[in-house]
Amino acid sequence: MKTLIRGGRLVDPVHGIDAQRDVLIENGFVSRIGENIDAADARVVDASGAIVAPGFIDMHVHLREPGQTHKETIATGTAASVAGGFTAVACMPNTEPALDSAAIVSEVVRRADAAGLARVYPVGAITKGRAGKELAPYHLLADAGCVAFSDDGSTPRDARVLRNAARYASDLPCTFISHCEDPDLKGAAVMNEGPASMRLGLDGAPGLAEDVIVARDLLIAADSGKAWHIAHVSTATSLDLIRWARTRGVRVTCEVTPHHLVFVDDRFDDYRADSKVNPPLRSAHDRDALRAAVLDGTVDAFATDHAPHGLDEKAQLLSLAPVGFSGLETALGAYALALPQLPLARFVELLSVNPARILGVPGGTLGVGSPGDVTVFADRAWTVDARLFRSKGKNTPFDGMTLPRRSLATVVEGAVVFEHGRVLPREEVTA
Amino acid sequence: MPPRSLLDVDDLRNDELVSVLDRAVAFRDNLPPRDLLAGVPVLNLFFEASTRTATSFTLAEQRVGADVITFAPGASSLGKGETIADTALTLRGIGVRVIVVRHPESGFARRLADVFDGHVVNAGDGTHAHPTQALLDLMTLRQEFRRFDGLRVAIVGDILHSRVARSNIVGMRALGIDVTLVGPATLLPDDFAAPGVRVERDLDAVLARVDAVMMLRIQRERIEYGLLPSLEDYTQRYQLNRARLRSLRGDAVILHPGPYNRGVELTDDVLDDPRSRYVAQVHNGVFVRMAVLDLLVNGAAVPA
Repeated sequence: MKTLIRGGRLVDPVHGIDAQRDVLIENGFVSRIGENIDAADARVVDASGAIVAPGFIDMHVHLREPGQTHKETIATGTAASVAGGFTAVACMPNTEPALDSAAIVSEVVRRADAAGLARVYPVGAITKGRAGKELAPYHLLADAGCVAFSDDGSTPRDARVLRNAARYASDLPCTFISHCEDPDLKGAAVMNEGPASMRLGLDGAPGLAEDVIVARDLLIAADSGKAWHIAHVSTATSLDLIRWARTRGVRVTCEVTPHHLVFVDDRFDDYRADSKVNPPLRSAHDRDALRAAVLDGTVDAFATDHAPHGLDEKAQLLSLAPVGFSGLETALGAYALALPQLPLARFVELLSVNPARILGVPGGTLGVGSPGDVTVFADRAWTVDARLFRSKGKNTPFDGMTLPRRSLATVVEGAVVFEHGRVLPREEVTA
Repeated sequence: MPPRSLLDVDDLRNDELVSVLDRAVAFRDNLPPRDLLAGVPVLNLFFEASTRTATSFTLAEQRVGADVITFAPGASSLGKGETIADTALTLRGIGVRVIVVRHPESGFARRLADVFDGHVVNAGDGTHAHPTQALLDLMTLRQEFRRFDGLRVAIVGDILHSRVARSNIVGMRALGIDVTLVGPATLLPDDFAAPGVRVERDLDAVLARVDAVMMLRIQRERIEYGLLPSLEDYTQRYQLNRARLRSLRGDAVILHPGPYNRGVELTDDVLDDPRSRYVAQVHNGVFVRMAVLDLLVNGAAVPA
């Protein structure tokens, strides 16, 4: 099977390429990069006027399977992935049951293969049941396919447990991913603490709830020598702490989400939960610091924290509604909206090169022999209509907004799985 | 066009607010005929216990001739968003035209008003708003000082958890009243400071220069939750008592939204003090609520 991506502007920072190039993929791997490649028997993706990049990897999504398939399944979540321009996603372990055993992880891998769309890299739990008490079996989980470990969605309260986890797993390459929110400082918060929460009479989580855990986890990273990744950084102080840790030689990377780059905590006057998320949308000061940190290189990766829920769940009162919303199908546009001045090479680093490096997974470049994973996108404005999402989660604060960038085609292992607005299951492609 | 619902004081323009107060005064001076809301079904929907507010609303509703229905469901029985919409539809179908609602969650009145095809009066939502309480406080202040602009009012105590304080801040600022909030930082974060709203920690430094002081109730839960060390420590700094009454000007007044805790935020001396206006406040409450119902349902047609 041959696939030719023709006529696009190839942006491959690893090879220092930013020029019009065709990409030929044979048997799942890149076989040629060049100008005007002629391959008569290839499936052709017309990329003229568009940008061609090594496949984008979203290193922070919730696929909800097993256990919460009314919110999302691996099939619908990976359909949303390829529609949004992602060839691979790392799925977080806060499923029911949690991804804390090899059997469950193997089943996720099997179902992802069966779905045949995006590559799925499971993230194993740090503690059993994500309860923050007992260590998960890291080596068994890694053998089953886990590429990183996290108790995402919650923060282990007990620093001793986290320290032991990091030391026990220190021989594995899998990075630890921290969800940083002190549960006591956060309390019953539904939004950021600040003038808006005071005015509305809503419980707010101070930025301090994140900062103290970022500081703690960076020190535990230093203590264990383990590679560490801070998920969805939302405060200016967290960024300062990360910069400080790097001066001390701590191996730390971090990600930011589209919603923290675009929105601030002024979205709760209607007391609806559409913008309720953990960590919460912060102040303009924090939002601006995140944008600056993307531009100055402090931030390593873009990640959506795609967190689908049923519309009825999100329609509950603020205190009862779950946190998060769909992110995969608006991500590219949202990043471009927040940072129109971001160079394309840096955009590709944040979405492909760095996530591949942090997770230790294939991809991130399009040289000969690279995996045939390609994202084709363009700066074309479009208006978000959440009802049209492939994700089961039809909830997003971006609904109705016009975004300046969108995915056009997605190729995974040489198979065109998304093109012309349609998700194409792989069997249909190869038939 | 008057607002369809009263969720907080700022649903009223200043002229509407003043006309509500004017009307309340008129009702107090001469009870209107019991037909202003004749045959209008009004539902009192109280998810949270209330004595004074529920009683005051019920009497107000009866005095304007409404068909009064009272329902006090448990707080959890109407939690889900779909249920709010379904319940709103059902109540409208039954014929309810006005819902007076109290709920422990901030924003509940707003969420209900967004789906109810009728009038909603917020009788207290979580820590967010209690507009009829603020209106009766403003009515009491106007009765005393005959003006709002330039008045100086201190609100003392647990501002963070007080819907009365929030609604008063909104209303007082709209009317040009200079507001000083007083309390410890755990119950009064600096984020409350705004144009025309000052945050102070020292009650003694404030008392001598205000026209009115509003004492908020302090609840014991704040100690268990680690916001206060003890009532003794709190009262040493923030209790209005005999000694502090001496700093308060002779022409100043003392307000309290009730229910008060004798010996905590205030002592018996305060309640006995001629400057205390607690009884005037609750008395005015009935007439303010009559005026609000009249405004929402009948509009501004009736001259004050």
